[in-house]
Amino acid sequence: MTRSDAALKSRGGAEYGLDLETHGMLHGVLVPSPVASGVLRSIDLSAARTAPGVVVAVGPAELAALLPNGGDAERPVFPRSRVMYRNQPVAAVAARTLAEARAAARLVRVDVTNEPPLIDLEERFPEWPASLTSHDPAVVAHVVARHGDLAAAFRTADLVHSETYRTSGIEHVALEPHACLAVVRDGTWHVTTTTQTPFGVREDAAEILGIPQESLVVEGTWVGGGFGSKGAAFLEPYALLLAAAAGRPVRLAFGYRDEFQVGRSTLPAVIRLDTAVRNGTITARRVRLLLDTGASLPGRDFATGYSIGFLLGPYRIPAFEMEGYAIRTNKPPFGPHRAPFAPQCVFAIDSHTDGLARRLGVDPVEFRLRHVWREGDRTPLDQPVGPFGAAAALELAHAKVAAWRRTLPAGTGIGVGIGFWSTSTGAGGEVRLRLTATELVVEQAEHEIGSGSIVRGLVAVVERYFGLPADRVRVTSPSTATAPFDSGVFGSRTVAALGKAVEAAGEKLLETLATRARASGPVRLEFDGRRLLVVSGRTKVPVSELLQPDEREGGLVAEGRHYGRSGAIDASRVVEGTFYPYTDFTASVHVAAVSVDRETGSVKVLRYAAFQDIGTVLDAGMFRGQVEGGVAMGLGTALTEESLWAPDGRMANPGLLDYRIPTIAEIPPIEVVAVEGFLGAGPFGAKGLGEPPIIPVPAAVANAVADATGARVTELPLTPERVARALKLL
Amino acid sequence: MTGPLTLAINGAHPRTVDVPDDERLLDTLRWRLGMKGTKEGCRTGDCGACTVLVDGETTLSCLTLSREVDGSKVTTIEGIADDPEGRKVQAAFEAEEALQCGYCTPGFIVALTGVRRELGPEASTAALVDGLQGNLCRCTGYLAILRAVERVREAPR
Repeated sequence: MTRSDAALKSRGGAEYGLDLETHGMLHGVLVPSPVASGVLRSIDLSAARTAPGVVVAVGPAELAALLPNGGDAERPVFPRSRVMYRNQPVAAVAARTLAEARAAARLVRVDVTNEPPLIDLEERFPEWPASLTSHDPAVVAHVVARHGDLAAAFRTADLVHSETYRTSGIEHVALEPHACLAVVRDGTWHVTTTTQTPFGVREDAAEILGIPQESLVVEGTWVGGGFGSKGAAFLEPYALLLAAAAGRPVRLAFGYRDEFQVGRSTLPAVIRLDTAVRNGTITARRVRLLLDTGASLPGRDFATGYSIGFLLGPYRIPAFEMEGYAIRTNKPPFGPHRAPFAPQCVFAIDSHTDGLARRLGVDPVEFRLRHVWREGDRTPLDQPVGPFGAAAALELAHAKVAAWRRTLPAGTGIGVGIGFWSTSTGAGGEVRLRLTATELVVEQAEHEIGSGSIVRGLVAVVERYFGLPADRVRVTSPSTATAPFDSGVFGSRTVAALGKAVEAAGEKLLETLATRARASGPVRLEFDGRRLLVVSGRTKVPVSELLQPDEREGGLVAEGRHYGRSGAIDASRVVEGTFYPYTDFTASVHVAAVSVDRETGSVKVLRYAAFQDIGTVLDAGMFRGQVEGGVAMGLGTALTEESLWAPDGRMANPGLLDYRIPTIAEIPPIEVVAVEGFLGAGPFGAKGLGEPPIIPVPAAVANAVADATGARVTELPLTPERVARALKLL
Repeated sequence: MTGPLTLAINGAHPRTVDVPDDERLLDTLRWRLGMKGTKEGCRTGDCGACTVLVDGETTLSCLTLSREVDGSKVTTIEGIADDPEGRKVQAAFEAEEALQCGYCTPGFIVALTGVRRELGPEASTAALVDGLQGNLCRCTGYLAILRAVERVREAPR
């Protein structure tokens, strides 16, 4: 089945956020803070206001007049006193042309003190973990959980394996930058935007602006890549504010440089791991995480308590302690990036586990098989593990390693990485089905971001549930004014959650049809090449005959909801902070084969295989596309991608020349294998897939490098310089 | 300074448009002529999303001043299907689902069409891939695009 957006996109017909324009619109430009840390003394907009073409210029002082109560106090549109990161928007202008708006923005005089920023975690906390307490003002979150007799396990261990890992900040590099078009008229705030979460933007932007959610309408466009970057309000509040001030539509768009400098993504971290082993079995593990969360506000850190669980791995660990600090630094706030911070955690723990196995003289895959969760095991926080394909995928990986050892040239490094993930429930989702005489329409809030979850995934669920051909199914994405609620395209949840909502609505729809057709038992739908029929036993009735007069146009409507539940965790093991339960359990086991240049330290990935626990494959093309795409993105995380920050808070590599993502010439052949049958919480037992395939990539590559060279690189990305250092060449 | 220049776009009769001297071909196409199929990406020549053909040659429209191509024939994604080679490439991208978000897709299709024209129908996969190195894709991992390249090579003439 070809995805329904293929023809439109291949002909250049899809309209994205950056393509938006309307009659009489102005162009907005944000005024960046010139320092990374300081206190605003004043912002002088007078020169900007009188510049050619300028219609409005707004800063913190204008918020009170434009927004109810001046907008949200905790998260004001513009900072009222303290600037938290370089290029943080402190004011904005709107002018007739983009060039005029840019010129005017440069005329804004920002008077701000220049204080030394906190940029480097280890420079600020050189003695960590010794020197740090949760009372430090830079700590925005502190999470601790423990269980079992850790001290005894370490005291009686045959071997304690202790390491420190460092991971880099990375960027999304969605090809389409952020862009939106705002109109404020007669008390209605309206924004058209490229977003993964129309309802999320509505909630978030309304909160920031201090307006009721009901007065804001969010409309989506085709999304030119998300990866988490388009998951909450970002440019929308600024554009809406400018539109309200100007009384005219305002377009606001980012360039790539802006994306790099103020985009919200994964930031650097330091990870310390200590594992105790007795008789070849792990008896205890202590994990400590120091995570840079940028200019995150206290209480809004989501990453630490969730990701730290990945540092224990999907392994049976009798005694453990995990402690994580989220540190507020003078960088843009930490934001979600495809499986937020999981690839980094898995790089650390699966490099560590691999190295431990090698120290013990045990085959690394066998060592993982000895410890990996099976269904019915308990997680560290005592949640029962559901159907989990990890062991099955590891067995397949084991065979692949053996096969490659036989066929690939000597000196090739072969490494395995295992990641796990859980499909997010989000805050639930709903759909509205409309059955007409000739088609079934799925109305829902989300827009296609590329994975195919909307244009293909939901269609595949309808095909399976109703037995209808794909060309009888149409998915629509109305604005938040009329769409049923959904929490967003994130957390690998879209098909899992909205697909279940489709099933729930479908059940109601078929019940109504059965009643109307006076059927004695269940009915189903069928397409006879011309129209839809309701089939009951041997009787077939055209749908058109069962529609009531007022349903002829809009169809017979049935609504379905899915508010998924996660399991429970044992709160007695939590000492401090928030930890999260899992919904289902998804394993990704990858095998990488690499060659390492012994003179330059450069790593080339030769072959790759991905064994993906998926429950049920709903569409083979989508499945392959997500795994291949996730692996490629993960290869960037593994080998080249690293946001660099100068001590003054300036981003040192805000462009594609210095921040390198993989090109078409750098991707190895990737074998993609589905491990089916370990059913998840989605429709027909499907598990979420958007994120899992990126998770084990850095670990698999690093383990392959260790296999090739005997040297362990403990810092991402594995640049030639770092590999050369590990090889003692530098 | 603003002045007239003449462009023959997608096989249409040459038309004269008034553009500022410092306007990029990308902006002339998208904002002056309303042809937004050509995508705006990095604007620094690193991503390839804005690729068009100028007199048959692959060109980054973000690094090209419109005035530089005065009098030229310009082919964009909107007109690529009029070229049999372009249609073949487009069909291959569709059949192989060599696209996800679709933002890089017009640039890839135009670039592959241009490279095929330049190197001829016998061009190897490696040579074609070489010609696509300036086009970035963040979604597909490129393998579906490589399958589309293979399909184009194997398609009947």
